[in-house]
Amino acid sequence: MLWYKAWLETRWRFVFMLGSVLLVWLAPQWLPSLGFRLPPGVPASRLWMAIHLGSVLLYIVAANFLAGSGVNSQTTYAATSGFHGSMLFTLSLPVSRRRLLLVRAGLGALQTGVLVAIMAVYTLFHLPGGASTFQALEYIARAIICTIAVYALSVLLACVLDEMWQFYAACSCWIAFYLLQSRFAFVSWISPLRGMSLFSYPVTAPMPWAPVAASLALAGVFLCASVLVLQRKEY
Amino acid sequence: MNLRINFASGVPIYQQLMEQIKHAVETGAIRRGEQLPTIRRIAEELAMNPNTVARAYRELEHEGFIEVRHGSGAYVAERETSSAKAAGIRRAGEVLRPAVEQGLALGLSEAELRRVFEDELARLQNDAAAERRRN
Amino acid sequence: MNDIIIAAEGLSKSYDGKPALRSLRLEVPRGSICGFLGRNGAGKTTTLKLLLGMLRRDAGSIRLFGQPVDSEASSIAARRRLGFVSEDKELYPFMTVDQTIRFTRPFFPGWRRDLEEKYLELFQLPRKKAVPKLSKGMRTQLMLLLAMARGAELLLMDEPTGGLDPAMTEDVLQILADLAASDGTTIFFSSHQLAEVEQICDRVCIIDQGQVVVDGVLDDLKSDYRRILLVFDGTPPPGLAGLPGIDHLRQRGRTASLLAHGDVEGLVDRARELGPSSVEVRPVTLKELFLDHVRGE
Repeated sequence: MLWYKAWLETRWRFVFMLGSVLLVWLAPQWLPSLGFRLPPGVPASRLWMAIHLGSVLLYIVAANFLAGSGVNSQTTYAATSGFHGSMLFTLSLPVSRRRLLLVRAGLGALQTGVLVAIMAVYTLFHLPGGASTFQALEYIARAIICTIAVYALSVLLACVLDEMWQFYAACSCWIAFYLLQSRFAFVSWISPLRGMSLFSYPVTAPMPWAPVAASLALAGVFLCASVLVLQRKEY
Repeated sequence: MNLRINFASGVPIYQQLMEQIKHAVETGAIRRGEQLPTIRRIAEELAMNPNTVARAYRELEHEGFIEVRHGSGAYVAERETSSAKAAGIRRAGEVLRPAVEQGLALGLSEAELRRVFEDELARLQNDAAAERRRN
Repeated sequence: MNDIIIAAEGLSKSYDGKPALRSLRLEVPRGSICGFLGRNGAGKTTTLKLLLGMLRRDAGSIRLFGQPVDSEASSIAARRRLGFVSEDKELYPFMTVDQTIRFTRPFFPGWRRDLEEKYLELFQLPRKKAVPKLSKGMRTQLMLLLAMARGAELLLMDEPTGGLDPAMTEDVLQILADLAASDGTTIFFSSHQLAEVEQICDRVCIIDQGQVVVDGVLDDLKSDYRRILLVFDGTPPPGLAGLPGIDHLRQRGRTASLLAHGDVEGLVDRARELGPSSVEVRPVTLKELFLDHVRGE
């Protein structure tokens, strides 16, 4: 029944993100009606790039947003008094904290994956030059895996921070990471941010194993850390 | 049986319950040989602790006031047995001791105190007779 | 089959260097309804949370159902057999009454559907209503239902009747009495309502500043403890404080009030030697027992 609870807990967030994704999808339709036009001389591919950039940012926002709430996070009330009311009810049930976290994080990861897949498909659809099915699947897979690394960090942050702060902290982390990757070649090589975009690795390029492997490793580490933090936490 | 327990009193609840059951037998609300309600029933009706009810029943059984028949429940004993009588006398002594102490503390002599007791006893018996005549 | 359902020994817990529990000792036998009394901040909620594994103890041991609870696995095993009601009665804001019940049910194979129906009916809980829309009283009743319908051997409750009107309170006490009588359920609950504790509990445990100061069968405490009132012609003699076996002494003008237990007769004789003009021995109520032990005077 933990999946049931996790779903009830997160469904509106998910629907909200789904709505946001649809907005991005329909951007070429509704932007012009608002008066946005491509300046003359700018190729349509620029529009695509803007949309893709937007999509990648949305991957990250979605991941952070969906990681919040639930068993790991506290509310602002909790930050001051030390516990969240319904947490006591949850913790009084015969279920391990590890399972609580993994189910909640698992559902959030699934939801994130679905959203990333939808946006990735859209991106590929409008890709100038198109992509073969295999290339498309490769891209979708790596976009999901790299985003899950971002998601997992958010899960960890949600275990230690207030829900509001978790979101800001997560976004800040990846901004910092972005700055680091432009400085250090190693960071750039393994960067999940680069792994999820078609700017760094176009569909025609071979599968970038470094970021994918690094993302899997990071996701694993962040999740383990989350479990450990939760197990040691006092309510 | 109309049982009334004062939970806030300093008198142990099981003792109050014992008194109430004995009183119920005296007034005829429950007759000798009749079955008493189950512990569970009393506990639930009065919203009180079943262990306390059980203790009252145990004590009453120990005094010989009730009998517990295996498998069927608790029954008021047909006849008051001598051990029940002795327990009754013992209990009366406990109840009366503070009254005696207070009487003596007020400065009454033994003879005066005895007269007060007899007067009170007579008055109570008159009231009981008057009550019976009215009903 | 163990007779002691809750056994805590030497339990200690501090928050930021401030001790909340100091070497606490607790024993609750099977089938007992034990009231846990104490002032706010005395350590009641901390004790309950330690029993449930929400906090880690600094020292001491805990046994539930005769099994030591010293790891998450053993805590989970214990939680399968018990029900809990928290002080603030918070449940999931994103669920309805029905959903909350459906969520909780599968965790407990011994869930009693008949009791669930009975309590839903008795409390008149609207199944489709979202939890945040419920009044505090109804949330309390829902939480009680979740704890009492799961077929638990032990109920741990923090102010179970907080926010309930007298009629609902009586309903809940009747249910608890029935659970204890029919299933031998052990109930351990903290409360500020002395009247309720006196009504439903056979045992009482008073905690003050992190330690247990009174623990025992309530009826026995009432038999053992006595208040001795002494009036003197002048100020009470200093020898009074030195008398052995006094739990609490209060002097006001020419009157001295002693709380004592054990050999009360002997104590009265010793007190008489000090030459009071009047000696009175009275029984003690739970309220007096509580106040004398927790208000340092």
